[in-house]
Amino acid sequence: MADYRWRDEPNIIARMINADKIKTFSTQQVILKPNEAMAMIMDGRIGDILSETVVKNLAGGFGRWFGEQMGVAATDRRLLFAMTGPMDYMVPFEAAMSDGQMAKGHANLRLKIAKDDLPKLLNIFANRAPTLRRDDVAAIIQSELLNKVIQPCVAACNDTEELRGASFQERLEMTAEMEMRNLLSNMGFTLLKAFAITNPTDMELVDRHRARQAAIAAGESVNAEHAAHMFHQQEISALARIEMEVNIARAQAAGRVTVEMESELKELRKQEAHWQAEFKRDKALQDLELEKVQTLHDLDQDKKQTKVDQAMAMFDQVQKKKADRIGQMQDHQNQRMDNQNDAQMKMMEMAKEAGALTSDVMQEFLKQQTAQKAIDGDGTEGGSRYSSSPTPQSQPTTNVDTCCGLVVQPGWSACPKCGKTFA
Amino acid sequence: MIGTPLDVLPYVRGIQLILTGYSGYSKGKRKHTDQIIRDEIIRAGGRVRSHMQNVHDICFQDNDLTSARAAKKCMEECDMLTNDVEKSSTGMDHAFLSGQRSTSGGDLKKLVKHDHDVIEMVTAAVNLANSAEHSLATGEGELLQILRQTTQKMSSCRGFFGARTVILSGLKQKKKK
Repeated sequence: MADYRWRDEPNIIARMINADKIKTFSTQQVILKPNEAMAMIMDGRIGDILSETVVKNLAGGFGRWFGEQMGVAATDRRLLFAMTGPMDYMVPFEAAMSDGQMAKGHANLRLKIAKDDLPKLLNIFANRAPTLRRDDVAAIIQSELLNKVIQPCVAACNDTEELRGASFQERLEMTAEMEMRNLLSNMGFTLLKAFAITNPTDMELVDRHRARQAAIAAGESVNAEHAAHMFHQQEISALARIEMEVNIARAQAAGRVTVEMESELKELRKQEAHWQAEFKRDKALQDLELEKVQTLHDLDQDKKQTKVDQAMAMFDQVQKKKADRIGQMQDHQNQRMDNQNDAQMKMMEMAKEAGALTSDVMQEFLKQQTAQKAIDGDGTEGGSRYSSSPTPQSQPTTNVDTCCGLVVQPGWSACPKCGKTFA
Repeated sequence: MIGTPLDVLPYVRGIQLILTGYSGYSKGKRKHTDQIIRDEIIRAGGRVRSHMQNVHDICFQDNDLTSARAAKKCMEECDMLTNDVEKSSTGMDHAFLSGQRSTSGGDLKKLVKHDHDVIEMVTAAVNLANSAEHSLATGEGELLQILRQTTQKMSSCRGFFGARTVILSGLKQKKKK
């Protein structure tokens, strides 16, 4: 049994044949691979859709001829073959962007024919040749694709950057999915993927040319800089070589006096070392002297401090003895005053009992008491010393006992009325 | 019935509720059984794709690009599942070459259970896709979440269907601990 080949070039995607026109003596069979499908249209009705199988007795042979002669076979038998795998279809386009540039390229649509949609290909074959190629499909969908998908999407791009962006491709695919479904569904196709392959625009070509020229200019500039740098390096190198030669010559000329200079230098260094040692010695002596003076000064200060401390201690002792002596005198005076007061009180009581307590007696009594108090003083050491050995300076106070009509009390230093000082 | 003892009978019955011609890979009908199972999976994938197409178009028109993108992703997943199923292996009836291996009865039993599970999974994906379109129409539920769940279910279905090749080749998978 001979194999029938419905597809003899890769661009063919579908073919409809009239099985009645296959006139052979041998029977024909067709092997349908997984990416091929065949729909049988018998007497105008769509029959089975087959795939992955071997269809035997497709045409030819004595049995089929005999059946046709007997009128038991179908009067019209058409077989519709198609490739069901995904295939790419390229549609050229040219559309304007919003900035006026023209975008050129190809829209790539990946389409497939579902097995169940195979009979829909009849819509295409109704007005076309029985063989469908990729170019035919591209021609059918081109106008709708351009007007409904490409031009709106490209026109939404403001510049070439947007045209190259992922969002443009996504928008294009979604728009194609939505706008092309009606047409593709009628034809029995399913859109799997859509994207645009855009050529460089005129402005991009200009930019590319500009960038290339700029790169060339920059390269030449770098070369020139490099050459200048090389010349500069050569100049520096030559100058350094000349300078080195001059130095060598100068050193050779100066080499003759080097020995003398070295001996003088040695002498000078020796002298310097000697001076350095003397300087150190003098400095050490000076430091020693200073330390000695400092020590003496410290000792003197210590002595003075000791003397001051001793004087302060003696002064404290004197003050203490003085306080003791004043305390003793005060006690003695208080005791004497108490005894005297007791004696005077007794005398006054005796005078009162005897009826001799007159105003003259009282006045005399007060006068004597005042005088006695003046003699006793205020109880201080000065008062006691004054009472025991009156000085010439205190004599007027003892003699003048009144001022401005007031009796001068012991301890007054000035008159409360006239302000006269008693010294 | 070859390779369908009592333990796989519930699965056969379950599939027969959906596919009346299913015979559990009985002798002489293996290719036919395999074909109708694959056709059913492709058909269910097509149903999911149709729902997703509707969701995609509406969302794109409403400028809801996030949802449209998710729907488009799910459609691509459906296409890939369909392609996988269409181009999947069917196993060999007779081994002619040294590198080939015939499908055993044990393999067929596993295959019946596997078919049942795949159909169950793809049916769940169809339900989710239907829910997505319903959610879009009524505003109930989280549309994006349902779309992504559908995509995930279709991906799982693809992966699970891939195990069919392993069963047919007689390789034993390691049991998960």
